[in-house]
Amino acid sequence: MARIFVEGWSPEYGSPLDTAELAPAEGSVDDTVEAVPWGALDGVDDGIDRVAFVDGVRRIDARLTVDDPVAGPVPGICGTFAVGAVRWDRPAVRSTVDEVRLERWAIVACGRPELFPTVDLQPPYETVTIAARDGDALVHALQTKMREAEGALATELSNDVFVLADGPLNQLGPHEVVGVVKSHRVTYLRPERNTLIATLGAGQRTPLFAIKDFGRYSWYVRLAALDGGHSWSGIVRCEASAHLPIDQVRAIADRTATLLPLVASAPHLDPRAPQNLVPVGALERVLRHRMGDAGLVYRALRAAVSERVAS
Amino acid sequence: MSEGSVGRVLGSEHTSTAAFRVVIDEDQFLQLDDLVVVRTHVPKVGEVSTYGVVTEAEAVYEGAQYESDTHRIAELGIMPAQKVRTASVAVTRVDPEVWVSTDPGETVERATGDERRRALYADQMERPLAIGLGRDGLPVHIDLDFFDGRKGGHMSIAGISGVATKTSFALFFLRVLTASPAIVGESAANLRVLVFNVKGEDLLWLDRPNRLFATTDGAADGWAAIGVEPAPFPSVRFWAPPRRGVPDLIPDTGGRLEGIDVFAWTPREFVDLGLLEFCFTDANDAKNQLPFIRERVQQQLQRFAVDIEGQPGAVALRDPRDQPGGRWGGPIPASQAGPVATDLATLVEALEAFLDPDEGEPDPAWTGRVQLSTVSAFLRRLHAAASRLGHLVRAGEGRRIDRAAANVTVVAIQSLHDQAQRFVVGALLKETFQQKEATGQRLPLSVIVLDELNKYAPREGTSPLKDMLIDIAQRGRSLGVLLVGAQQTASRVAPEVLENASIRVSGRLDAAEAERAEYGWMLPSTRARARLLKPGTMVVNQPSVPVPLVVTFPFPPWATRHEEVAEGTDDPFLGL
Repeated sequence: MARIFVEGWSPEYGSPLDTAELAPAEGSVDDTVEAVPWGALDGVDDGIDRVAFVDGVRRIDARLTVDDPVAGPVPGICGTFAVGAVRWDRPAVRSTVDEVRLERWAIVACGRPELFPTVDLQPPYETVTIAARDGDALVHALQTKMREAEGALATELSNDVFVLADGPLNQLGPHEVVGVVKSHRVTYLRPERNTLIATLGAGQRTPLFAIKDFGRYSWYVRLAALDGGHSWSGIVRCEASAHLPIDQVRAIADRTATLLPLVASAPHLDPRAPQNLVPVGALERVLRHRMGDAGLVYRALRAAVSERVAS
Repeated sequence: MSEGSVGRVLGSEHTSTAAFRVVIDEDQFLQLDDLVVVRTHVPKVGEVSTYGVVTEAEAVYEGAQYESDTHRIAELGIMPAQKVRTASVAVTRVDPEVWVSTDPGETVERATGDERRRALYADQMERPLAIGLGRDGLPVHIDLDFFDGRKGGHMSIAGISGVATKTSFALFFLRVLTASPAIVGESAANLRVLVFNVKGEDLLWLDRPNRLFATTDGAADGWAAIGVEPAPFPSVRFWAPPRRGVPDLIPDTGGRLEGIDVFAWTPREFVDLGLLEFCFTDANDAKNQLPFIRERVQQQLQRFAVDIEGQPGAVALRDPRDQPGGRWGGPIPASQAGPVATDLATLVEALEAFLDPDEGEPDPAWTGRVQLSTVSAFLRRLHAAASRLGHLVRAGEGRRIDRAAANVTVVAIQSLHDQAQRFVVGALLKETFQQKEATGQRLPLSVIVLDELNKYAPREGTSPLKDMLIDIAQRGRSLGVLLVGAQQTASRVAPEVLENASIRVSGRLDAAEAERAEYGWMLPSTRARARLLKPGTMVVNQPSVPVPLVVTFPFPPWATRHEEVAEGTDDPFLGL
């Protein structure tokens, strides 16, 4: 019988295994692309100078209702997201938060034409409508917008730095961007290959495997050996675009296996340790702060709507 | 004129009319005691300038949540964070006087030039006298009106002993005071300073240049900034008691003998000046009927004492009842005098004949019919006094201290027994005060410098000397008698004396002492710092500036011990 573990992550974050992820079709994973025997590989630090961590946070500021006496009430949301990057200058031993981008969206269901009134906030809300009607689709739309902004920022930064982005890759151009996936909902490898993951030491990775349907290479890295953890704790899955030459991806994979353990968080400080990287955790705090006080934003929204009613 | 921005008023916490914090610009710094100014636009009033002094400087990594984040930020560099430096400012002044707090986010500027003067109220001082140097090397002033009696008087200096700071500061102050006639104004004329040297012989070299002065960093610059020529005191007279058990009058000092005058009182002066009371200066002596009998004896002494022909200063005690008018006129021949008092011991013997005769009853005119035990206690104390300070009373030509002989009169009492020290201090204070009382004039000013004030005006008990000091503290200001008192622990000094000092100064304090109510004039940050002050650094508080200021004072150009006396000025007979 397999053992049962209690996840170290705080329950409010959800389990590290639960976000929606790519589910490749049977037979589309090729675990021979690196042409090495299937076994643990040590990371190699190629001395890369500049690394950027890209992440975003979002918040639902308010729920909206478009009052249509005929068709019935139509739902909408107001949401804010912030994406940004931490630039890690390794020779200078310094990290700085950079490129913070903020967007505010009013998302209305059912393709409604109404525009949300002007709110006294910077940046202002832009209105967009979606065809679907349910509330989850609205949140998903906001999430998609944030993921797109993250992808755009990552691609932009990859011109001069090596980028580690939070979550699966969003843009699959030939850029040095690695997606770092913290949760493991989908099993990619055949069972006999999968057993290697449990044996990885900290700073080791699996050989590359290609997820052909989705145009990317992937590999697993162990960040830290946690006391009392299960065999998949402390494991992240990395992704790189299949548009990059395989040799470059191998170098990148070796690099991630050394860099990621350096920035892994400690379990007594971060409930999502070690997968929630220290720079990313700090970045998220800054981004949340930059989104503005939720109470003030909510108040501004109420004020904007009541003004329109009054006028 | 301001030097430009050093930062902005912190907006993440409340500002108040008493204090605010500054976020310092990345390429600027603020240190303790720096002066700053903030301009706030107040609706319906206009621009209000808030001046302040930096009381604390702080720095933190903004973004670090845990202490170990410091490693991640500074050592590993994997965590983004911002170093933020801030300074706490205590408001010294708001101009115009519209008591609003500073606006958050306003630019904070260093106060220099006229702004600095305004921050320290120097623009409002009619007679600003430099009392030390600020952190910027420029002078910090006190309003002399609050020292010389016009609006306030006296100075109290506190600080632990051993670092010689209290006396050094008092002398620095005196030097500036005596060398600044233009500022002191009419009070400068005939200004007289009486200084008691109570420990060591630090003050016996005030007239000699200090050979370490030229090689001490910043000494000359300091005096130049103060605006006083760095020179020894030009007009000083030194007085010391005679050495005991030696018939010749040799000053009882160790390191220096030349240029020191010997002082003593004759029995005649002892009687006329009423010095008997200063033989009873122990705080416990006020118990019982001792003060009563003392006063009685003093009055009788003045009636009975008669001069002796050919023996200047000596007296005999004879009943003047048969004399015209019941008083003694001129001297009488020794042959008619009976026992002659030529010093304190013989005077006490003569007194004993009335108070406790070998035969018969004590004379009630002298004892006032107090109980015999009280008379005995009185005589016991007199005998003790005769042995401890008897050598200060001797017949012969008068050797009273002449305070008019020089600007500064130094009286060396360090070699005397405690009781004798109190006797000398009491005698001189009384003389000084009585002279001023007689004229009723504030001018010329008389400044008295007295260390170890707790010995002379202790918090507990009463004594004629304590009463005298309280009297000076309370009335001296209008009579131009100004006390510069120093003590290790202000909490042991009579509160009446401390409360009347307008200018309060403190050097390094014992940690427990600094927490006492006597130092309520300090800010909490000043108290914390008072434990760490270096010699040469003082905290000064004055009525015209609402916060205490930290100042330094420059190295003295006069010697403070024999080894410091500059070559060439050294007398070959010195120290013999």
